[in-house]
Amino acid sequence: MSNYELVCGLETHIELSTKTKIFCSCTTEFGGDPNTHCCPVCIGLPGTLPKLNKKVVEYAIMAGLATNCEISPISKMDRKNYVYPDLPKAYQISQYDMPLCKNGYVELSNGRKVRILRIHIEEDAGKLVHQRGSTYVDYNRGGVPLIEIVTEPDIRSIDEAREYLEKLQLIMRFIGISDCKMQEGSLRCDVNISVRPQGTEAFGTRTEIKNMNSFTHMAKAMEYEVNRQIDLVQSGEKVVQETRRYNEEDDCTESMRGKEDAHDYRYFREPDLVTIQVSDEMVARLREKLPEPPHQKQERYMAEYGIPEADAQQLIKYRSISEYFETAIDGVQNPKVVANCMIGQIFSRLEGDSAKESFQVNVTPENLNALVKLLDEGKIKMNLLKATLEKMLDTGKAPKELISEADMGGVDTDALKAACEQAIASNPNAVSDYLSGKEKALKAILGAVMKATRGRADAVEAEKLLITLIQK
Amino acid sequence: MITHEEILNIANLAKLSVSDEELDELTKDMSEIIGFADTINAASADASDFDNINNLSNVFREDTVVPSYDREEILKNAESQNDGYFLVRKRV
Repeated sequence: MSNYELVCGLETHIELSTKTKIFCSCTTEFGGDPNTHCCPVCIGLPGTLPKLNKKVVEYAIMAGLATNCEISPISKMDRKNYVYPDLPKAYQISQYDMPLCKNGYVELSNGRKVRILRIHIEEDAGKLVHQRGSTYVDYNRGGVPLIEIVTEPDIRSIDEAREYLEKLQLIMRFIGISDCKMQEGSLRCDVNISVRPQGTEAFGTRTEIKNMNSFTHMAKAMEYEVNRQIDLVQSGEKVVQETRRYNEEDDCTESMRGKEDAHDYRYFREPDLVTIQVSDEMVARLREKLPEPPHQKQERYMAEYGIPEADAQQLIKYRSISEYFETAIDGVQNPKVVANCMIGQIFSRLEGDSAKESFQVNVTPENLNALVKLLDEGKIKMNLLKATLEKMLDTGKAPKELISEADMGGVDTDALKAACEQAIASNPNAVSDYLSGKEKALKAILGAVMKATRGRADAVEAEKLLITLIQK
Repeated sequence: MITHEEILNIANLAKLSVSDEELDELTKDMSEIIGFADTINAASADASDFDNINNLSNVFREDTVVPSYDREEILKNAESQNDGYFLVRKRV
């Protein structure tokens, strides 16, 4: 591997989260009984006419703007012809030579840019189920709008491919045009890959691995394919330009079709749809709608709030999380406390990615904000904050309902000293354990202090005081 | 001129079988069609002249769901169906 360099470009299909299909008013909802989200247009009956969904154009332009693309003032739709049962018209309406967006880029953390050649809009195909010697066809997905994002061959490692795709997923989720779920197929990826000796310029012969449906599979497929190609080149054989698929069971790639049966799509202009003209005003209006890009948000969280990188990444993983965070830190002295509450206690109540994505929790961001402000005002200590947050997560109540006035304001020095002395007196075993070197025994005594003060005491202060008193 | 091979290739892409008798006929027809298209090509027009035919552009539909058809209606012209699916010969 070390003598060879990987050269890779990605074609990513993303299903847009419009309510209706691209050319008809059927729902795009995922699943549903087979062929229940269909009409004469999306099952390709003769005599039907497509009508373009405005939102599809808008979403694609937003995707282009968020990836630094130029938006084409004029574009059009084309027919891509091929005969396969997932495509009832025997052609897919797509864009060929005049895509909506072109010449963009996504910047990686190492500073390299992956250039985006084009983004175009098209219709998804139906789903085929092969069983019992027949092919079963469900057209619910047929006509669901897609954008295809094509990069230049700028990717030089598996890590770069992964980072590019993760970044793309994050951006598209943030601008709200797709949920980008690889497992549900709303984000799919084809990998074009070749190898060349380090330091050379000319590209090697490439192969295309189709339909990667998870980050892990993509990485594994690329690793296998790179090694396969290097072995071929080193043994003096030639890489054949072809389409391959990844076989999960055997963890390898295998040939689907060679160049000789490469598709001849015979593209031509779709005569049933008129030109798309995008005005400067439309672009400006959509640019206005774009939220702060996720990577910029992450950098701001780190620089302005001193939040560690790993935590900042968690906070921008989904738009709902960052929105929650930004509401909860409003007017708070130390946003890091809010971040810790979210990533620690609140995240632990959410199981799996989809729960984090919707971020439905019992505690409103306003209530978390109020709780942290009590800390800022010195009315409660950190341990009471944590205990109260647990109760808030259980009950959904506001902090003021859970902490009485009597509990606020902490504990004065005399009262704390009294509580510590009392705890030492009533836990002689723990005290002797501690004195014989078992430092953990101190926790039991500290627990008694916290219990006696109903969590109001400052745990750090109490611990210090206990050690002084015991060692007297 | 259009050759028999070109006709067979196009037929193959369209998954059509063509008999020998049809082949001559189709080759002749296709040559005429292409010839007609050449007449159009000879006209002095820029590709961009077609950008805005009839002053029509941006014919859009709002993103509002309309109930889909009953599945029975959708499947009623199908040659073969099962469990709510269209059924076709197995393809890989």
